Parts: sequence; C-alpha cells; structure tokens
Amino acid sequence: MSEPELLLDSDIRLWVFFPIGLVTFFVGIVRHYLSVLISSQKKVDLTQLQDSQVLLRSRMLRENGKYLPKQSFYARRDFFNNEETGYLTTTKRPAAPQAMTDPTVMAEMLKGNVTNVLPMIAIGGWINWTFSGFVTTKVPFPLTLRFKPMLQRGIELYTLDASWVSSASWYFLNVFGLRSIYTLVLGENNAADQAKMMEEQMSMGAAGMPPDPKGAFKAEWEALEIAQHQWALQTTDADLLRRAETLIAASHE
Amino acid sequence: MSGRLRTRVDKASGDRIAYSEGAIRNNSAIIEYCRTSMAALSGATSGILGLTSLHGFIFFLLAGFVLWLLLLIKAGSQWQQFFVSRKNLLTSGLTSGLFTYVLFWTFLYGMVHVY
Amino acid sequence: MIGLKFEEVRDELRKWREDNSRQSEEVVDRWTYCLQHNKNKLGDERWMVEEQVFVAALDCNRMDIADQCLHSLAKKFPNSLRVAKLKGMRLEALEKFDDALQIYERIVREDETNSTARKRRIAVLRGQRRYVDAIKELNEYLQLFMSDWEAWQELLDLYLKEGDYAKAAFCMEELLMSNPHNAIYYTRYAEVKYTQGGLENMEIAKTYFGQAVKLNPKNIRALFGLQLSCEQIASSPKTTVQKKKEAIRVAEYASQLIKQRYAALSSPASTHGDQNLVESLSALTVGGEKTSRP
Repeated sequence: MSEPELLLDSDIRLWVFFPIGLVTFFVGIVRHYLSVLISSQKKVDLTQLQDSQVLLRSRMLRENGKYLPKQSFYARRDFFNNEETGYLTTTKRPAAPQAMTDPTVMAEMLKGNVTNVLPMIAIGGWINWTFSGFVTTKVPFPLTLRFKPMLQRGIELYTLDASWVSSASWYFLNVFGLRSIYTLVLGENNAADQAKMMEEQMSMGAAGMPPDPKGAFKAEWEALEIAQHQWALQTTDADLLRRAETLIAASHE
Repeated sequence: MSGRLRTRVDKASGDRIAYSEGAIRNNSAIIEYCRTSMAALSGATSGILGLTSLHGFIFFLLAGFVLWLLLLIKAGSQWQQFFVSRKNLLTSGLTSGLFTYVLFWTFLYGMVHVY
Repeated sequence: MIGLKFEEVRDELRKWREDNSRQSEEVVDRWTYCLQHNKNKLGDERWMVEEQVFVAALDCNRMDIADQCLHSLAKKFPNSLRVAKLKGMRLEALEKFDDALQIYERIVREDETNSTARKRRIAVLRGQRRYVDAIKELNEYLQLFMSDWEAWQELLDLYLKEGDYAKAAFCMEELLMSNPHNAIYYTRYAEVKYTQGGLENMEIAKTYFGQAVKLNPKNIRALFGLQLSCEQIASSPKTTVQKKKEAIRVAEYASQLIKQRYAALSSPASTHGDQNLVESLSALTVGGEKTSRP
C-alpha cells in the first residue's frame, strides 16, 4: 500500500491540501476572538434567577439532605412540597416562553448564528468553489465503500478507492480534528469549538436557568416527593463507641 | 471560609473519601492537555513513519498506553490522591484523542507519502 | 520588600483574588512597594488589581491609596455599576452610611439582579449595628437568592448575635447541605444544638461532634464538644442506663484524645508541634461565637 496507485501533482499539496488546513485553523482562531468581541453579557431576569436558585437548593436537599437530622429534612421538604403552601406547588410560572416571540432571544440566536453557522457555510462554500474537484490526500487506512460519499464529496468516480479524500471532505476532517487543538491553543471553554457550541445550544439551560420553569418545578417536585431521608450519620454513634472501646481497652492493658 | 471546597464521595474502599472537585477538574484539564499533545505528536510521528491501516491504530493505542504509564509514574505511589480511578485515566481520553490523531496522521502521511 | 519581583507579586495577588482571601495589609504593602510603579505592565489585569487594592486599602484605612485607585477606575469605567459599588464602599468606610445606601439603591434599581449591591445594603445595616433590620433584609434577600451560602452564613452569625439558636441551627443546616464534608460546619452545627440545650438536641450535638471528629481527628474544638455533650447526656436523669454507659465511654475516649493532642503539642522537640498548634488554634477560632467553652 505504500506506493499509491494514483500520482498527485505536488502543486496540489502546496496550493490546496496545505491551505485548507491553515484556513480552517485560523478561521477557528478568528471566530474565537470574534465571539469574545460581540458576545454580550446575558441579561438575566430576576424571576429566572430566583427559579434557578430555588431549583439548586432543592437539588441540594435531595442530594445532601441525608446529612441533616430527620426532622430538618422533612421540614425543608414540606417547605417545597406542601400541597397548600409548598413553594414548588404554589408558585405559578408561565409555560415555556416561545423563543421566536422574545426579541432578546432572537438577537442572541442571531449572534450565535453569525459566529457559528455563517463562517461554517461561508468557508465551506468558498472551499467548495475554489478547490472543487481536487483529490487532495489519502487516509492511511482502508475504508469500505460506504465512506465514499462522505470522504469524496464533489468527486463522482466510481472506481476510485474509498480511502482517497476530496478537498471538501478534507475541510470537514479538519473541522472535527482541530477541535481539541483549539483547547490546547486557546484554553478551555473557547468559542472556536463549534460542534460543542451546537451541543450546548441543544441542551441549553442545564447549567444556567431553566428555559421552562414550570416543567422544571414539576420535575423537581416529583423527585423531591419520592426522596426519603436516609440519615448518613446513623452509624456515627456506634462507630465512635467502637473506637472508644478499642482505645480504652488498649490503654488498660 | 471554606465554601469553595466542593467534594465528592468515593465508596469503593468502604470508607468515605472526599475529593475536592475543583482540584479534580484542574487535574483532568491538565490530563486533557497532555492527551491532545500526545495525540497530535503520535499522529505526526506515525504519519511521517508512513504507518498504514492497522499498524497506525496499534501505534495510537500504544501511545495512549505509554502516556498512561508516564502519568502513573509522575503521580507515583499516591495516585489515589490525584485521581479517582486509574482505569478511567486510561480509557476516557482515547476517543477524544482519536480524531486529532487521525487528522495529524492523515495530514503528515499525505504530505510525505502520497505526493 | 524591595527585592520583590514584579511577576511574583502579580501572581501572589492573583492567587489571593481567586481564593477570595483578603490579606489586606499584604496587598497594600505589595501595592506601595511594587505594583504602584508598574501599573502599566499589568495590562488588562490592572483594573482587577486596582479593585482588589481599593478594598484592601479601605480595610487598612489608607484612604489615600483607595482614592487613587478609585479615581483611575472611575476614569476608565465611568458608567460601571461595579465601580459605583466601590464608591459606596468608600462612603461606608467614611461612615456616611446614608449616602452609601443611596448608591446601592440606585444600583439595584438599574440592575435588579445585582446581588452584591443588595448584600452591601445588608452590610451597611450590620455596620450600624442594626442587627434586627439586617436580619429582616437578609431574609428578604434569601427569598430571592436561596442558594447563596455566604448569605446563609451571614444570617447564622446575625442570629447567633441575637441569641436565636433555633433559627441559627436552621441556617447551619443549610450550610451543611452545601458542603457535607466540612468538619467545621459539623462542629458549628453541633455547637448551636448544644447551646440550644435539651436532651434531644444534646443527642444530635453529640452525633454531629462525633462526625466532625471522624472527619478531622485533630479538631480540638469538636473533641471538647464531644466530651461535654456526652457528659451532659450521661448526667441527664432521662437517659437510660445503657445510653449513660455508652456516653461515659465516649466522653472518656474524647478526653483521652484531647490529652494525646496536648501531649503531642507540648513536646518541645518537634517544630512539627507548632504547626499542629497553629492548626488546632485555627480550628478553635473559626467557630466564631464561643458556645462550648470547656
């Protein structure tokens, strides 16, 4: 396999293969700084903030409530879940706001699109247009025919081996492979990593405020309703007594 | 006072061991850094060497294993103080490093051997 | 002090900033001897350093330095709410509480999610020793920001000052939930319960002192607490014989551990002992309100 059956012009290497990698890399860097530049501080609504704090506290109660005395735990659960007066049962929040009707959400989304999707389309289109139809390189491992449409975008040659890569596909390979290099160069939590950004957009609100407080309250209420108090300090007394007895026994000898 | 100290409980040994979450996160960030560097470097190496198909992947696994050993040597006998699990240290980074590895491998293989 | 390197000082200050430790005197020292002359070398970090130095200068009552920092910050960020808060803090330091309150109220009006300004307002009340008002305000604040553990801690302090131990215990429980692996929290919770008195509370105090000892066997304060609470339980007429016996055992255990600790500390040969003494002393002082002094 070391002798390729296809001979490529070395000018392709200099003017197509290499530039694509370079362009992808620098576009990522530029995107990072651009998004730092135009991203605005998110304006948080007071009720949203309050909701997220309430949810955090009740989650803490579920997770760490076992360290409290029984009475304290149930008093707190009652505060959240009491049928008449409980916080989670009585607080009424409107159902999930429609994203499209809220202009601030729209603006934020637009900004996200400007930095994320637009360069992707623009650079992808530009590469397709400038470097279309080149066979740029060959992956050093054999692939089945299924990979042909993925790796040989823009080339419709049926007899070509599947491990040859077209220019457009080389670009996409770069986009995914450079992901962790960006963390290396730009540090954690950078914006150049567009694939991760998209994931975040999907599951937005896991860390921040819940997009749908009503649903979140209901879920939290349910989880808290089935939470039982399993005192973590149950064994402490017996444990201490055991230690005491061993120490005293040792000192009496 | 000490509100910053976040902890987590590991019940493997029966006793409660609390890890500081900030420190664990810091450690894993450093490990991630090492892994990416290692993946890029080993990818470049195998590309220049012209390894193909299975050999390349074996080289990748080998590099991951060597990195793991190096990390354990660096952590010394008290690895439990720094990492929750030894096995996780080996396996968690392999998939994320693979993309980087393949990219560098392909890139240098293309540069050196295809043209 | 003259020999300090710029980079070292910068990193030191950065670390203190990240750790939220005030170290006010040191910060002011570093500023006057080193950073003051290298302001421009700091780059964008300069503004954060100046903020830090400003607060430190207020702590040390070095109004000249504070004014100097505030002036440059206000020039750079004329409309910033963060700088407005600093202005309020300066007024507080000068004991012009009403003016400070006005500034904080303006900040909250402009940005109602600004929690620091709300907290400063409570701090003003505390500074004026109006504890009851501070408690009221803080309760309102906690309605909005339920998971602000620092605020719970502050409320705990205030309740202890007012001697309202049942409510203090509630705040302490909240803190305990935020970090259930902190021995100091257990000690403090147990102390509050101990002070509340009554057999039931004493049992709880004993268990939580015990947990604190388990988490940190060097915690002298918890050991004393364990011993005292056990003795209380043993001397109570309502305790069963079996429990009494157990309590006496554990009390004996605690007193032995305390003796061991002191024996280790007083052995003059080890400089290590000093270290331990410092540790146990810090364990003693962290508790704040003395509730269970032997």
